[in-house]
Amino acid sequence: MRHISLIALVVAGSLSAAPLAAKPLKIGIIESLSGAQTSTGRMFANGVHYGIDRINAAGGVNGEPVEVVEYDNAGGPTEAADKFRQAQADGINIIIQGASSAIAGQLTEDARKHNIRNPGNEMMYINVGAEAMELTGEKCHFYHFRYTSTAPMRVNALISTMKEQGTLGTRVYSLNQNYSWGQDMQAATAADTAMGDYEVVGEVLHDVNKIQDFAPFVAKIKAANPDTVITGNWSNDLLLLMKAAGDAGLKVRFATAFLDQPGNIANAGETALGHYIANAYDNSAADGSFADDYKAAEGHLPTFVEPQAAFAVGALQEALAKVSSEGGDVNVTKIAEALEDTTYESPVGPISVRKEDHQTIRPVVVSKVVKNAKYPADDTDMGFQMVKVVPGEEAIYPVQSSCEMKRPG
Amino acid sequence: MEFYLISTLNGVIYGLLLFMVSAGLTLIFGMMGVLNFAHASFYMLGAYVAYAVSSAAGFWVGLLVAPAFVGIVGMLVERFLLRRVHAFGHAHELLLTFGLALIVEEAVKLVFGDFPVNYQMADTLRFAAFTVYGTDYPFYRVFMGIVAIVMFVALWLLLSRTRIGIVVRAAERLPQMAEALGHNIPVVFTSVFGAGAALAGLAGAVAGAFYPTNPNMALELGVIVFVVVVVGGLGSLQGSLLASLLIGLFSSFAVGIDWSAADLLALVGLGDWARTMGGLMTMQVSSISATIPFALMLLVLLVRPAGLMGERG
Repeated sequence: MRHISLIALVVAGSLSAAPLAAKPLKIGIIESLSGAQTSTGRMFANGVHYGIDRINAAGGVNGEPVEVVEYDNAGGPTEAADKFRQAQADGINIIIQGASSAIAGQLTEDARKHNIRNPGNEMMYINVGAEAMELTGEKCHFYHFRYTSTAPMRVNALISTMKEQGTLGTRVYSLNQNYSWGQDMQAATAADTAMGDYEVVGEVLHDVNKIQDFAPFVAKIKAANPDTVITGNWSNDLLLLMKAAGDAGLKVRFATAFLDQPGNIANAGETALGHYIANAYDNSAADGSFADDYKAAEGHLPTFVEPQAAFAVGALQEALAKVSSEGGDVNVTKIAEALEDTTYESPVGPISVRKEDHQTIRPVVVSKVVKNAKYPADDTDMGFQMVKVVPGEEAIYPVQSSCEMKRPG
Repeated sequence: MEFYLISTLNGVIYGLLLFMVSAGLTLIFGMMGVLNFAHASFYMLGAYVAYAVSSAAGFWVGLLVAPAFVGIVGMLVERFLLRRVHAFGHAHELLLTFGLALIVEEAVKLVFGDFPVNYQMADTLRFAAFTVYGTDYPFYRVFMGIVAIVMFVALWLLLSRTRIGIVVRAAERLPQMAEALGHNIPVVFTSVFGAGAALAGLAGAVAGAFYPTNPNMALELGVIVFVVVVVGGLGSLQGSLLASLLIGLFSSFAVGIDWSAADLLALVGLGDWARTMGGLMTMQVSSISATIPFALMLLVLLVRPAGLMGERG
């Protein structure tokens, strides 16, 4: 019996020591591909596919094309945890996800535990869209990278740009969804009062995507008489809010984070004109080469969260190039170390990783909705026009003290 | 005063919208005993059909075609699916309609895409009905309210004042006796289900132009219409109307209320203690306004399990 297990051990040992140049790098997309958040999840997956196609067009990694597997988490953390185990079994090296901070919280913990239990066979988690502060705070770890902005970055950029433009006013209303993201937005809005020289005249947190009728909220906003409403709302919560405000003839400016979600501009109509958004990229902010290339590859202009996902994979591509020149086995720790040192030149400016918490330092694009835009949205004559690109160093916030990252080795 | 007037107005209209969506569900449950989980899917289907038709033939044509189309879909569902499982009891009907709801949702995404479609109301309806305290009140909200009231009056008259109503009610109470009297009960059931679905389709066509038409609209309203029907009393039309209005008013007023449990405790001098506790203590009523209908449902189920105007106790 002892002999057999010894033989098994030797065989297993020799197997893992065999030349592994033929073993491809495997990337798993664990995204919300069915259920209520399909619209967002699918967009993240699009951007990732675009990036990986470019890696493979350039010859792949170690001469092998990168393998990509899609897993549907059905919009919930439980299913996502299930799909993470599936990815583990499939030998996935890097997982990518973006829609929902709740799912991200689950996946980053799963990855952390996996890496404690499987030294030498780590998995990396590239977060392309989950913005909850805790992911780079108490939950931060070496193998998690956040390739998106967060609430303070978006709010800082919005406030400073609108202040410069003279469109901010002195009375600001904060209306957000009642969960980590909305609370982060509310806290960021309250923190910038001195910088933006304004007063927060009202703060509301409401249920997430449960409210059909925003008329009562509009009545409440009107009573506070603000100049600007800062909101992190997305999907229906943003669209219904804007429509209700437009219907009531409320004269305020909305400063948003997700106004560019497809369908929003067409549905809101003229009401959307003059509202602001802060996000990772806008076609009007770049020279158009990325937009053209993306359109050639995917059949439509890059919109919403697609660009940020594509940039994350672009950064990964550069990191992989540094590692694969050394040859040999897929070593996720080396890839992660290379990614830390990679500064990716996106069309709107450089994106680099902050080593202390693996938050990316990245430019934030502030744009507003105008008529006769160069890149019209949703087949209307309206679209986004870049107002200012806020450089990463200006938008970034200090490392959270709650992050205690343990580095490998 | 301004707060009360505007909140009442918003609450009543939202309540009427809820009634519009739940009327068909009440009808189907009251007259057939079928708890239709796919009801909100019929509502969504109505909105999408109206969108597809209106982009080719105009808003008003869409408003007519949508209920007819959804009504026919409903009749087919009753004839070829529900009737087969009817003999096995409520659980099977429930599971069948639940599965149907999932299929409709994914099918809509396949055909119309993942994003909200651009379904707009007729431009002739896009104006302010009146102005209260400097706020425009959109005419379309009033229009939705009128449609709901017309729906209620028509249904109520039909069921309580006409021969058709008598036959339908007889088919629900004593199907065998009604059949012995020469009425074709299966046809009655198919028609009732079709009518319920058509009402949902009409509600979708009307509301879809105001709220965005997107693949999640069934999910968003699906739960709340069940709350309406349970609070009002399963199968009671008047109960549904009452419950819809109550829920609309509660939700509307709750948004304007910034009280929290801590403020309440402050009355007896425990305010500071409650504020240091945080959590639930400092949560404002306005931030949980969408939860209030469910609290109401819980209360009604505890005090009066048959619902406000339900008959079966």
